[in-house]
Amino acid sequence: MTNTALAAIQLDKTYGEGSTEVHAVRAVDLEVQPGEVVLIMGPSGSGKTTLLSMLGAMLRPSSGQIVVDGGDLTAISESRLPKLRATTFGFVFQDFNLLGPLTALENVEFALNLAGVTGHQARKRAEGLLTDLGLGERLSFRPDKLSGGEKQRVAIARALANQPPIILADEPTANLDSKIGHEIARLLRRIATEEKRAVVIVSHDNRLQDVADRILWLEDGAFRDLHTMSTDPICGMSVDPSNAPHLEIDGEVIYFCSTVCRDEYGTSGAPGRHGVRAERIEDEPDGR
Amino acid sequence: MVPIARRMLFADRRRALLGVAGVAIALVMALTLDGIFAGTTRQVSRYIDTSPADVFISQEGVRTIHMAISILPMTAADEIRTLPGVDWAEPILFSNDALRAPGGRRPSYVIGYTPGGRGGPQTLVQGREPGPGEMVIDDSAATALNITLGDEVEVLGATWTVSGLTTGMTSIVNTSVYVTFDDLTTVLGSPGAASYILIGTDGDTEAVANSIEAAIPGVESQTRPRFSAEERSVVREMSTDLLYIMSLTALLVGLAVIGLVLYATVLSRLRDIGVMKALGLDGSGVTRLVLIQAMWTVMTAFVLAVGATFGIGAVVAAAAPDIDVVVEPASLLRAGAGAVLVAVIGVIIPIIKVWRVDPATVFRRPS
Repeated sequence: MTNTALAAIQLDKTYGEGSTEVHAVRAVDLEVQPGEVVLIMGPSGSGKTTLLSMLGAMLRPSSGQIVVDGGDLTAISESRLPKLRATTFGFVFQDFNLLGPLTALENVEFALNLAGVTGHQARKRAEGLLTDLGLGERLSFRPDKLSGGEKQRVAIARALANQPPIILADEPTANLDSKIGHEIARLLRRIATEEKRAVVIVSHDNRLQDVADRILWLEDGAFRDLHTMSTDPICGMSVDPSNAPHLEIDGEVIYFCSTVCRDEYGTSGAPGRHGVRAERIEDEPDGR
Repeated sequence: MVPIARRMLFADRRRALLGVAGVAIALVMALTLDGIFAGTTRQVSRYIDTSPADVFISQEGVRTIHMAISILPMTAADEIRTLPGVDWAEPILFSNDALRAPGGRRPSYVIGYTPGGRGGPQTLVQGREPGPGEMVIDDSAATALNITLGDEVEVLGATWTVSGLTTGMTSIVNTSVYVTFDDLTTVLGSPGAASYILIGTDGDTEAVANSIEAAIPGVESQTRPRFSAEERSVVREMSTDLLYIMSLTALLVGLAVIGLVLYATVLSRLRDIGVMKALGLDGSGVTRLVLIQAMWTVMTAFVLAVGATFGIGAVVAAAAPDIDVVVEPASLLRAGAGAVLVAVIGVIIPIIKVWRVDPATVFRRPS
């Protein structure tokens, strides 16, 4: 445990009570080491965002512990959490979440200000980070003048600004085209490898599997034991064959994320248009 | 530090400018009302302020001309002339009535004085001092009532012929007219009486004023500055409630404007605020953010309002000489303090709103 960057122990989150109770995350255990990229996948509503919110100290778990740097986040008072978020976590979001009124440079500088770094020092560091990420010519641009890839790189620079040990990324490639998506994926990989940061990514994007050290499948709030995953030939989403809608064509079984994709495939009648990929992705009972 | 509060406020320039303009208009209302009031109180004491008298004597207990009746025996003037330090003493009679002319009427101070003496108009811009049955009126009132030299006017039930025009003696409230002491004595039926005695001194004015009060029983003796201040204060006291209501109204308008503007700014930036909280902005940080926005709004509005009030004063002075807009430092301080108060109260609801923003909203897709 001494080398662990982030650990979740029997993490549980329940919303509501009685008949309206929703068990969003159930007894999740997770350990992430420095330099490791962990990809958490799963269908919509599986609890990925709730889990990420709890790991990032934005949401209190109903029970369980989150251990960062030897300390239990769940035992820390509410008033200390903002400072902890500023210094311990770097966040990368699907929608970039850059502050519109600020320039690229100021977006990064603002994150530094929140951690107590101000003035010339903050400006130099923000400039350095953006330049390293190839945005040296875009420092004074507002987010609305940047491309999707540039916005995400600014967001990554902002996430790295305070040199946090943990990067939490929510669908970081979802709004990017294939080429830029791969670039961002490789960048996250490089950050983990070269800077020894723990990177936790929540995503539907299969491209991120290439850069992940581990892939976890979250469904109904819990990590599943064993997954032989297939890819939906219509939308490209990973699907669990044990409970996925499917078609059998010429003896070959094709799995879909939903009946909508299955019906579309059946209507288009295009077997062979998309290859069927069945692969063993993960085989760890508790996600460790 | 990145000026995030200012950037967020002015990101939507139209809304920010509307907010600033709204608060500025409220402040202009308050400052202009205050300025008109200050100008009026100054005009009300104009007769005293421009008089060559160093000391004013009135009936004991009477400290003003406005809203007062003072009756002194004429013999008091003779007694005062014998006192050390007294250079000259001149009685005047005083009454109130409307100055009536074919062109309308106007409330007036009616001053009876001895022509050639010091109690009359200090300047004559046209004509001459009044003789029997004659009157000097202010040029501004003459213009307003369409009166020229030689016209007949009515005051205190008598008809007077206008013999001369003075200037600077008309305010938004009233005007001053001058007749001879003897005529006013006849009209008022007050032989042997004066209203006030004007005193010129050749020594320490304060000491002379005190010595008169000690030597002559039944009189009130005040130096010109003190008499003037008393005159202004009685006018202020009469209008205080009205002024408070008007200032409070202006303040409430400003409060509503700034509250709405900041609330709208906060609502439009809830996601940004969620992002900032997710990145580590704490409760005091978001409070500071909204407060700084409020201060920017009211301070910008305040500067604009002060400039606009001076501009309005200049325009009013050119268009309506009777109305004097005087922006006093105390008025600026009051408006500034009011603006800060408005900002502090106006941010309460927006601050509660931003406190409630859940940082986890950053994971939700924008709608």
